Amino acid sequence: MKINFTLNGQWTEVEAPADTPLLTLLRDFLGLTGTKMGCGIGECGACSVLLDGRLVNSCLVLAAQADGRSVVTIEGVCQPDGSPSDLQQAFIQYGAVQCGFCTPGMVLAGEALLANNPQPSRYEIREAIAGNLCRCTGYQQIVDAIEVTAKNRQEGKSHA
Amino acid sequence: MEKFSYIRAGSVNEAVHLLNEPGLKNRVLAGSTDILLILRHDPHYCDRLVDVSLLPELHAIEEQNERVFIGAAASFSEVIESPLIASTAAVLTQACRSVGAVQIRNMGTLGGNVINAAACADSLPALICLDAAAHILTPQGDMILPVSDLVVKPNRTILPQGGLLVSISYPIPPKGSRSAFLKLGRRNAMAISRLTVAALGRQNPQGRIIEARFVTGSATPRIERLAAVEAILLDQNPAAELFAAAAQKTVEEMIRLSGYRWSSEFKIPALTAMTERVLGQVFKMGEAV
Repeated sequence: MKINFTLNGQWTEVEAPADTPLLTLLRDFLGLTGTKMGCGIGECGACSVLLDGRLVNSCLVLAAQADGRSVVTIEGVCQPDGSPSDLQQAFIQYGAVQCGFCTPGMVLAGEALLANNPQPSRYEIREAIAGNLCRCTGYQQIVDAIEVTAKNRQEGKSHA
Repeated sequence: MEKFSYIRAGSVNEAVHLLNEPGLKNRVLAGSTDILLILRHDPHYCDRLVDVSLLPELHAIEEQNERVFIGAAASFSEVIESPLIASTAAVLTQACRSVGAVQIRNMGTLGGNVINAAACADSLPALICLDAAAHILTPQGDMILPVSDLVVKPNRTILPQGGLLVSISYPIPPKGSRSAFLKLGRRNAMAISRLTVAALGRQNPQGRIIEARFVTGSATPRIERLAAVEAILLDQNPAAELFAAAAQKTVEEMIRLSGYRWSSEFKIPALTAMTERVLGQVFKMGEAV
């Protein structure tokens, strides 16, 4: 079936079988491999994307469900010149990236949180990334990176 | 070769029509978080998914005639964000907040949670505590059922073949009511409920309990209000001993209804503590209400 949707701001048309998960459409049909396939059952959050601005597991959404809607993947999170966003820069600076497999999902979970709650507490940050597993960092650095980005944005510094 | 096809319904009536088209095994697609997992294990579960998730009328959350109506495709996040639900049914807000993680809450729907009817469904004890009703559309017309009658046992409802759950409604509890929900899982996020408790009640100006509703989840085969526990609380003044007696009865009811199981040794002290705690959140001691 034909699927038309806005992908990272670009109107996109793609032909895919009706039973194709959104994750497969992104990775295998469109070559956007930043979104990762982890558990495949909605528990690890590596496949997180924004669907109409809401964080979802793309392994548990059909591509067909995205028809007519807006999807943002990690490839859509950067400054206009392609350099890392302030949140991505904070992940680097605070050591929040080790193996990197969870990072795209973590960054999107952070962006989804900050869009709704510009001044989250550390508890709220933990809650917002509770659906994203990281086996390397122990999470502290990730929480730090999101927290400092929130502070900087509040102070008007380096908003992507 | 596609294992199943997909069609997006343009209205509730069209959805029911599509669900009843002969020659096809149709299933409703709402939040997709459960059904896609089922389809991965059993590709013959259905021939076609009828997507109702984007119908605006299935997302409405509104008050009508002293009842709150929640569209069946409202996501857990939409329920959590509703000021109307927060102000009339904290028990439901808290139950939906305890579901999965944000990704699941953004997709998963209240209607899906009811119809999927998992033994551990977080919204069910809250809805049954609220005396909620299910509004169903079938080719033969509308029907209304108490949620406690619709869900007969784990993973089993009496939703008629080809019927669509359209909304869930609950009567707004009288002024001065308080409600609360507690969940025990193995970790905070994404945990499947091991036990849940939901309570709702009201005290008179002297502090006496004049209404008590109490429901447990993941403890009994059928989720229902525990009348024997409610009877202990009714017409009493809140006190630690009263809550302990109610917790004792709750445990007795769990064992009477479920039998003594391998998990009982763990569940008995846990359920006791959770019952006492949730009652302490709903009924205030020495407080004129």
